[in-house]
Amino acid sequence: MESGSPSHRLRFGIGIGAGAAVAILLGHFLLGGALSNLAEQRETRQGIVTLRALSDLVSRTADGDGLRKAVTEFQKAYPELKSIRVVLLEGASLEASTDPADTGEWAAPRQLSRDEKKNEKPVFDLMQKIRGTVEANREEKTAKEELEIGRLADGSGFSLAGPLEKNGEVTGLVEIKRSSAAAATRPGWITTLLYIAVPILLLVGLSFGVGNKQIPLAICAAVLLIGTIWGYGVQSRSKINREGLAASDAVASTAKTGGERVQSILQGLGIQAEPALNPASWDSDLARRPRAVLTPDLKVDPAKAMSAFAGVGTAVTRATILLIILGVAIALFFGMGWAELFARTLRVHRTAYYYVTPAMVGMIILVFFPFAYGITLSFTDYNIYTTGKPLTEIFNGFQNYVEILTDFQIAKRSADGSWAFNYYNFYWTFFFTIVWTISNVTIGVTLGLILALVLNTKTLALKPIYRVLLVLPWAVPNYITALVWRGMFHQQYGVVNQAIQMFGGSPVSWSDTPFTSFLTALATNGWLSFPFMMVVSLGALQSIPADLYEAARVDGATRWQQFTSITLPSLKPALVPAIILSVVWTFNMFNIIYLVTAGQPAGSTEILITQAYKFAFEKYRYGYAAAYSTVIFGILLVYGVFQNRITKASEGI
Amino acid sequence: MKDKAGHDELPHLPLHIFLIIFVLIATYPILWVVTIALSGKQSLALATLPDRIAVTEERLVQNIPGLNDEEATAIVEALENAKWIDERGILTLKPERDKVAPLLPAELSKYAEPLHKDLMVCLAEPSTLDRLRAITPWPETFSLENFRAVFRDQPFGRWIINSAVIATATTILGVFLACTAGYAFSRFSFPGRRAGLMSFLVSQMFPGTLMLVPLYIIVVQWLQLGSSRIGLTLIYATTSIPFCVWMLKGYFDTIPKELEEAALIDGASPGVIFWRIVLPLAKPAVAVTALFSFMTGWNEFIQAATFMDKEELYTAPVGLRFFVGGFSQQWGYFSAGAIIVSIPIVILFLFLQKYLVSGLTAGSVKG
Repeated sequence: MESGSPSHRLRFGIGIGAGAAVAILLGHFLLGGALSNLAEQRETRQGIVTLRALSDLVSRTADGDGLRKAVTEFQKAYPELKSIRVVLLEGASLEASTDPADTGEWAAPRQLSRDEKKNEKPVFDLMQKIRGTVEANREEKTAKEELEIGRLADGSGFSLAGPLEKNGEVTGLVEIKRSSAAAATRPGWITTLLYIAVPILLLVGLSFGVGNKQIPLAICAAVLLIGTIWGYGVQSRSKINREGLAASDAVASTAKTGGERVQSILQGLGIQAEPALNPASWDSDLARRPRAVLTPDLKVDPAKAMSAFAGVGTAVTRATILLIILGVAIALFFGMGWAELFARTLRVHRTAYYYVTPAMVGMIILVFFPFAYGITLSFTDYNIYTTGKPLTEIFNGFQNYVEILTDFQIAKRSADGSWAFNYYNFYWTFFFTIVWTISNVTIGVTLGLILALVLNTKTLALKPIYRVLLVLPWAVPNYITALVWRGMFHQQYGVVNQAIQMFGGSPVSWSDTPFTSFLTALATNGWLSFPFMMVVSLGALQSIPADLYEAARVDGATRWQQFTSITLPSLKPALVPAIILSVVWTFNMFNIIYLVTAGQPAGSTEILITQAYKFAFEKYRYGYAAAYSTVIFGILLVYGVFQNRITKASEGI
Repeated sequence: MKDKAGHDELPHLPLHIFLIIFVLIATYPILWVVTIALSGKQSLALATLPDRIAVTEERLVQNIPGLNDEEATAIVEALENAKWIDERGILTLKPERDKVAPLLPAELSKYAEPLHKDLMVCLAEPSTLDRLRAITPWPETFSLENFRAVFRDQPFGRWIINSAVIATATTILGVFLACTAGYAFSRFSFPGRRAGLMSFLVSQMFPGTLMLVPLYIIVVQWLQLGSSRIGLTLIYATTSIPFCVWMLKGYFDTIPKELEEAALIDGASPGVIFWRIVLPLAKPAVAVTALFSFMTGWNEFIQAATFMDKEELYTAPVGLRFFVGGFSQQWGYFSAGAIIVSIPIVILFLFLQKYLVSGLTAGSVKG
């Protein structure tokens, strides 16, 4: 066996090479991403410090020429600033600007323009928005973002805008446009290549010791890979920490020079800095909460600076573990000969795979991968506020599932103290979905079967016409059916209420109570689902041989006995699959519920699938909705396995 | 009653009555849409009911002999205070004769009897006949205005074209993918065959809501195909694959292998065998697959609503919902559009439904 196949040494050599290359290269790009992220953060922090220094300066000057002089001086002191604009709320006036576009007829001071040529309404809106946020934060003790950051259209930098405050009142807006200069430190290629080469060489060396044996080689390869990738992770983490500390240092020096510059500009204007400037407080987040990384004498507090990286540390560890798993899996795939086996299988059955691949690729990209991704999302707190964040940061384990499945709060106390039924509870929706499914399938089967029996009458005239007319509801697209029935159930003009009034009743407000709302959906779905059952039953009825009934009649069986002992058993093979199918359809009958009742009133007539949709697209809780959908999938899977058993059992009889 | 074969059957007349009732129920909503479409109006009422007449001072002075303006004002006030009429003068309840007199100030009680009569006129409750008219699916006036207007005043023509393009592309792509895969699953035995078939079956249970957000991320953010017909086509074609593959595999299984073996001996390549021999034999199944793919693309609503956020790229279903969803009440546009959208699909469906049924039930039996 050993002689014909390539040696284990060679296989594991290729394996460890491929594993290390893939894992370390991925790590290399992850590290690169993290570093450029850090660089961006540093620039933002420096920008914030500059903006706060400017606001501080401007708020200490008198409006008018003093302010403009201060802005001009500030611009001179900071070459990295492309432009500065100061806008006052009072009279919507552009008080000072160093923007090249604001010269000549547009020179400050002037009122903000609403011309077509130069529409500055966005600036005014931004000022109002910032003022609103500052006031809301002050009154409600919240921490919403008071500074607005944006990328410049040409990608050469970013803009930052913040409030201008005097005596605790927001009086305007200060905006800077800053070019981004510093490129991020890139991870070194030499190091990366070394990390890939070292395990290969070590394995080659070790293989002379352990010989050409599969299991020892596998263990060696795995250990080497774990060590290498772990080492790369540790190195990456220390690199990130170093860069982070360097960032704080850079911010400290920006704050320091900023303080000195503002001080000198103030002196030049003959203004006493009272109270004294506090550059350390300029290093804040976008909500203008101090980061407290700088001490008042502008030294970096290492402990505080490090604590900002605690999250990064766990993220690196997590990524490292994933890379180790990936690397070892690849190494074993080649080393154990699975790759070869795989390649051989592909070669032998290549015609079959040619035919299957197009469909399979489509299914994997647009069905199976989204499914797996959806399951992954169900373990995260993915919502509209966390969209940009990597999934590892918003991972929250089984929290969504726990929240869904352990919520037994069927009744809730509403604001006025009375108890109200909580229809958004999972168990209510589940219960309602079951009621919905059972009642629909029952109606569908009963009506379909009765109509099929009637239509199966041999000599009945006009049968084909009846048949076509009765199949029509199934042929009409179901979203159209849903919208039509919604119109027919309209409270004022709908024909259903007109008919009720014709017989002396009073019009019903269908969407006001859960029961009437349920009836509207039931009527709609009943209408569109009986033809399917009718067609299926009719097909099965027609295939029952007539002599069975003949024989039964000879034996003196009554009509009912014939029905129960001949008709029903012969219908079973066709009807059981049809029922199974229609249970799944009805269970997930999104369109009818969504378009007819829309869950009214108060979500009482939502079924699981529409509820999941609303969590995702109306409450924007994507992670929670994914967990909800996964629970639905679980229920259907259990049902599928269960029905498979039943049908298998019935086939055996 | 006995037929030729000696079956005893139920009397036919009750059966006909029963069937006619059901045919009425089954066709009523369709007639309803047709009526609204042909009415030329946007209202969802099949007929206009007589309006209630407002009780105003002028009306009272006109209709009650001897009443002057001041007295009329007093009466209207009294009616308002008693909550009989609202601020527009619309009568909200049926006035009873002996309750009218106590309502009025003593000096006006002589008007109780004529007032009661007049109020009864104002009430103008629609008669049973009016109500019957209001539920009869027959337009008051015939007009093709809604059909013209939906194309003229609304971008419905565009939406129909979008739907047609998407559904046709879905059909071509879906049938191609399903035919090749179905053939492989039927004719070849290869590692992964069973797993593949089972995974297709299980994928039918994936809840759409679980897929929507990831699909959005993949199609819109990664593939940059948001608000495009290509993106929607790809999604529809793949979602229709599992059903079509099972259906075609079942059909290919019934085609005898000997034909292909003979062709193979004659030196035909696998490709030629598939395209020239197997596919032509499987025409009926291919037709059903095509119908199913087309229906998926033509009728799908929720993904189209999620992915198409530009009005000019709406598909017909999204557009139809746009007419009558939320607070919009353009039932004329909706019904004309609904008829145009439904006719092709209903005709196709009626021709091919029996194959569809056998495909559906066969697929699930094997599961």
